Amino acid sequence: MSRLYLYAIVGHQPVSPLGAGLAGEPLSFVAAGDVVAVVGEMEDPPPATPEAIRGHDEVVRRLAEFSDAILPARFATVQDAPALMEWLAATAVGLGEALRLVAGREQMTLHVYDMGGPDMAPHTPPPSAYPGEPGARLEALGPGARYLAERRRHWRQKERVPELEPLRPRLDALVTAERVELRATPPLRASVYHLIERGRSAEYRDAVEANLDLVAGVRLRVSGPWAPYAFAAV
Amino acid sequence: MSAKPLDTRALLDEADASLLDLVDNVLTKGVVIDGEIILGLAGVDLIYLRLGVILCAADRILKRLE
Repeated sequence: MSRLYLYAIVGHQPVSPLGAGLAGEPLSFVAAGDVVAVVGEMEDPPPATPEAIRGHDEVVRRLAEFSDAILPARFATVQDAPALMEWLAATAVGLGEALRLVAGREQMTLHVYDMGGPDMAPHTPPPSAYPGEPGARLEALGPGARYLAERRRHWRQKERVPELEPLRPRLDALVTAERVELRATPPLRASVYHLIERGRSAEYRDAVEANLDLVAGVRLRVSGPWAPYAFAAV
Repeated sequence: MSAKPLDTRALLDEADASLLDLVDNVLTKGVVIDGEIILGLAGVDLIYLRLGVILCAADRILKRLE
């Protein structure tokens, strides 16, 4: 029994010939309302080899050339077209919002590494880095207020990579949206995903490189442009 | 019918920074279809756990090249 391998969701059915998929299969569409899934029919789900992962991204990049708005799919196979149509219909609102966000845009990634390598102690930002959280006075609070203040600070720290704060204003003109994924594997501290207008990746790289001296205590690795994988969650 | 697990050691040996970003994007980002209709992700969960380590390996290699 054949299965459908899902490559991406697009806003409109592309009219150009799309070429072949991972297994050389012709690409086809499963549509539900305003959203269109680009799929390939396969006998078996492909193994997640480096070649298959590269092949998936190559197909996604090719689709992006024909589609202004594209949500790349995570490497996966789905049961059949009716099940996929049902899922598309049920998720159409979220997919539509995500498609509007990524329309005409692509992704750049900033990997943030501790400067000192894997043996260096994990960096802990000083409490003063978080306005409104007077860490030095936490002990003066009652147990309930202290618990809430600590929780608030914890979540603020989770959401931020404070070393990048001086860099952010220099990227503001280029970045439409941001996702941050904190990593628990030193020296890798975080991966920061930026959504930028298509065709501006060189400007983005230049802006990062020109302002590296503003970023203290960490090392950055820029990667991209990519299809907007990190902005495809619905 | 399930996908074969990805050999993460092979990825580490390959140590190709662009491949590591590909793994990050293709296996841990992107549209996720939930529910019972999804197939073929067996064996990939381990990759998520190893991904940070793999990306760190890329960092060390890049450092050596600098």
